[in-house]
Amino acid sequence: MSLQSTDSAAPGSVQDLLSRAAVVAVDLVKIYGEGEAAVRALDGVSLVVPKGTFTAIMGPSGSGKSTLLQCVAALDDLTSGKVFVGGVEISGLDEKERTRLRRDKVGFIFQAFNLVPTLNALENITLPMDLAKKSPDKKWMEYLISTVGLGDRLHHLPGELSGGQQQRVAAARALASRPEIVFADEPTGNLDSRRGHELLDFLRRTVDEFGQTIVMVTHDPFAASIADRVVFLADGRVVEEMLDPKVDQILDLIKNLES
Amino acid sequence: MWKLTLKNLKARKLRLAMTALAVVLGVGFVAGTFVLTDTMNASFDSLFSDVNEGLDVIVRSESEFESQLGGSRQPVSESLIETIRDVDGVEAAAGNIQGYAQFVTDDGEAVTTGGAPTLGGAWYDEPQGSLVIREGEAPVGPGEVLVDAATADKHGFELGDTVTVITQIGPREFEVSGIAGFGEADNLGGATLATFDLPTSQELFNKPGQVDSIDIAAEDGVTAEELRRRIQRVLPDGVEAADAQEVAAEISNAIKEALGFFNTALLAFAGISLFVGAFLIFNTFSITVAQRTREFALLRALGASGGQVTGAVFLEALVIGLVASAAGILAGFGIALVLQVMLEAFGIELPSQDLVFLPRTGIVAAVLGISVTLVSAIAPARRAAKISPMAAMREMAPKVSGFSTRRTIAGLLVTLAGTGILFGGLYGDIGEPAQLVGAGAFVTFLGVAILAPLFSGQLANLIGYPLQVLRMPGKLARRNAARNPKRTAATAAALMIGLALVGLVSILGSSIKSSTSRILDESLEADFTVATGGFAPSFISPQVAADIASLPEVELTAPVRLGQFRRDGNNTFVVGIDPVSLEAVTDIDVTDGSLASLGDGEVLVHGDVAEELGIEVGDSLGMEFASAGERDLEITGLFDNKSLVQADYLLAIPTYETYFPEKVDLQVFVKVEEGVALADAREAIDGVLEGYPALELQDQTETKESQAEQVNQLLGMVSAMLGLALVIALFGITNTLALSVFERTRELGLLRAVGMSRRQTRRMIRWEAVIISIIGAVLGLAIGLFFGWALVKSLESEGISELTIPYGQLVAYVGAAAVAGVLAAMPPARRASRLNVLEAISTE
Ligand SMILES: Nc1ncnc2c1ncn2[C@@H]1O[C@H](COP(=O)(O)OP(=O)(O)O)[C@@H](O)[C@H]1O
Ligand SMILES: [Mg+2]
Repeated sequence: MSLQSTDSAAPGSVQDLLSRAAVVAVDLVKIYGEGEAAVRALDGVSLVVPKGTFTAIMGPSGSGKSTLLQCVAALDDLTSGKVFVGGVEISGLDEKERTRLRRDKVGFIFQAFNLVPTLNALENITLPMDLAKKSPDKKWMEYLISTVGLGDRLHHLPGELSGGQQQRVAAARALASRPEIVFADEPTGNLDSRRGHELLDFLRRTVDEFGQTIVMVTHDPFAASIADRVVFLADGRVVEEMLDPKVDQILDLIKNLES
Repeated sequence: MWKLTLKNLKARKLRLAMTALAVVLGVGFVAGTFVLTDTMNASFDSLFSDVNEGLDVIVRSESEFESQLGGSRQPVSESLIETIRDVDGVEAAAGNIQGYAQFVTDDGEAVTTGGAPTLGGAWYDEPQGSLVIREGEAPVGPGEVLVDAATADKHGFELGDTVTVITQIGPREFEVSGIAGFGEADNLGGATLATFDLPTSQELFNKPGQVDSIDIAAEDGVTAEELRRRIQRVLPDGVEAADAQEVAAEISNAIKEALGFFNTALLAFAGISLFVGAFLIFNTFSITVAQRTREFALLRALGASGGQVTGAVFLEALVIGLVASAAGILAGFGIALVLQVMLEAFGIELPSQDLVFLPRTGIVAAVLGISVTLVSAIAPARRAAKISPMAAMREMAPKVSGFSTRRTIAGLLVTLAGTGILFGGLYGDIGEPAQLVGAGAFVTFLGVAILAPLFSGQLANLIGYPLQVLRMPGKLARRNAARNPKRTAATAAALMIGLALVGLVSILGSSIKSSTSRILDESLEADFTVATGGFAPSFISPQVAADIASLPEVELTAPVRLGQFRRDGNNTFVVGIDPVSLEAVTDIDVTDGSLASLGDGEVLVHGDVAEELGIEVGDSLGMEFASAGERDLEITGLFDNKSLVQADYLLAIPTYETYFPEKVDLQVFVKVEEGVALADAREAIDGVLEGYPALELQDQTETKESQAEQVNQLLGMVSAMLGLALVIALFGITNTLALSVFERTRELGLLRAVGMSRRQTRRMIRWEAVIISIIGAVLGLAIGLFFGWALVKSLESEGISELTIPYGQLVAYVGAAAVAGVLAAMPPARRASRLNVLEAISTE
């Protein structure tokens, strides 16, 4: 079945599915290197992320979580497979189109070094829109800024902010242009648990209150339990999925998977 | 430590290549200058060692010193030739004459050289000298000329052709009797040569019954020295017998001395390049040390002492200095060729010859290259030693501030010292003024460079302010330019030096132009000036002034002649004039005595000089002339305006002719008869000048234009030379930005990840370069303005009374610097935009 050949958007059709999902990934394969040294980082991953949901991705180190995120977010090329973001196929885009996609449709939160050191917090938040020469939605900005809770530190440079503040600014930046989807790769990895919780609360609220779609890679069962769904990866494959996860369930599952 | 150093060097190839290239360029220019000047000297040596081949002794009148203008010896009597032929051991002796003779091409253009003289001489068959007839025969009688092979070849003169030759008695037509060369060479160091028989030469060069020298060959078995002594015994007082080879060496040395100016100028430019290069080297070391903070901290944590870290950085500098100096010396050969082409483009042709490399070139260039590299590494190496082991754990790139009290004080002191030395050189009475001014400028540059980080951040913000309008990439560029004031300042400082000098030169040029123009307006009452065009020294036959004066349309002509005498061991210019006619064409502002009554054996002296020497009207002044030795002349007047005569001493032409054998004018001022239309007068004078294609008739406006043209030409040459310093400075911008891009890899990755396009990335880097360039340009031009002002003020007594600042030109320089910045940013911008986003984000 060809995914593009159907033009009808009848309920249940492929087009309908694509337009309701923020991300559709079909049979993703990513191989690093060549010959004997080749690593199959993704080995046929398929995934649908419905709009307005919070998905957590877990898995042992080296299982392909980051690779999945990067490929889906147009930061890296796939060896094979197809990815649709907001109904648009991204696998064949050129560098210019990918840049535009990252700028307008996708938000990012990395584990660290999320902010441009020469721009203050507010400027960092509006950076993607400035690059796009778009003016930010005022109400949305006000909401973000109040939620980030920086108060008078809004005009401080990143170097003058704490790690937790920096990550919240990064989250606000990722959300500022109201992207189709926000990807976060271990955003709480460098934070203590209190700051981590604050950031997770912030992300959760944007999903609940504004229907934001978020995909977050994490090692932390508590962080994953905030999500609507947890997808488990191992050796570049999806091995398990869990809806409305609880911390104990996650821990149990991890134990099972390891044994 | 050695192992570590080598490893480091290998690991950072790009940064290394950048540092090394700065040294290579600086050293290359120094080596190139040496190679070029040595080559020039060698070629003149080999040329002139042949010039007196076949001759053993030369008889000529004695001379107290060699005038740079040539023609300083009086002729000797022709009858001496016979006397000498009778001396035992003389194989052959013949009279020689030298004077000004210029060929005219078939199109009526005067044949000019790139600075070499246009000579005329007398032919003789015996003794056989270095001039050998290749085609045709020797010139015989008043209508024949022998042409040098180079001129014949270049202008298509063939046997039997009729050519015009201009001499001091005017133009005359001759038939080409033959074509001659100097051994293998077609001419002598670029000079043209017209040879006639002796009687014709005597007539043409106005030396009846006389010769300039007598060329003598010895019989087999008689040494030159023995013959010289025998001949000397029969000579009258004031005439000497000289060794022919020594005379050849004298000529060669005189030419080399005249070219010494080029050596000095070229070396000055080389020094400037090296100085600019030093900033580049210093900056690169600073940046790389900062980027390697973690590495050094780790070393310290592992137990290396501060001294060992310093040592490692120094060792690195030493290796770079060595390798780059070697490469620079090689590059010097290429640069020598480029310089030669440049000089040729400005009409200064040098005889061709294989490039000469003396050991001195290698030693000086290597010592300079290595020491500049090591000195540049001192501060960064010390900084490296101060890195605490704890820095290994910390995040990279701490906030950099350009401010410190120590810096402020040190910078101010150095700047003040520099300007002090500068002013000392300009106004003081100590040492060599040119060297003091140079040293003062050098120290001032250092001072400003020390101070620059104090305000370069603010300056970047100010200059980058308009970029805010361009939103994101521009805004980031502005912040990047301001984020590390020291780095920005050091990068801009290199450009600052180049632009300060270019700015200074253009201010000086404009001031000279406007001042001369004003002088001409105010003090030149002549309607026309007859001048020789171009750089090459040509002369005006006295016949021209006489012929023009006899025109009914012309009231009078005022010829000016130039000569040199010696005072206190220095060659000094003196001018020969006709008092009455000079009075009519210009006001030299006589303050004591009178010009019109200037008589034989009397001299008029510039007021400032008189004051300096403590002499006054009525005193006698000792002047040493090459041909006549020390003579006392009576001072009969003082004058204050030398802007037109261009010398501090004035002699009446009869006095001048007593001491200077050359009877040619340098310039002739013409005053038209009252009531005659200038156009009519011009037509009449043009009629006289028809036969003198080398001469130009200029009205006041044209005189101004031609003076401006000469100034422009000189400025063009100087600016072209400074171009290399500018190229090095721009290269510094490329270097700094490349290193910054490297340092900001992760940040660039982030920007690209959140949606900065490649174009925006390139634009960001470009704008940063533009800001840095403009900082350099603005600082440089500010200093240039200051230097220009100081220099012009100090030249007031030389007739440069007007300070003219070419604002339009200076603004254009800023624009050009901005454009150059864009070019300099191209490689790093490209690199930044091509970064692999993923790899960039994940770099440590
Ligand atoms: N740039 C790369 N080159 C080669 N192999 C890579 C690269 N990036 C990741 N890998 C490999 O791909 C696999 C998945 O990596 P990654 O997606 O980073 O895992 P995770 O984020 O789950 O820890 C690992 O085996 C890793 O070594
Ligand atoms: Mg990972």
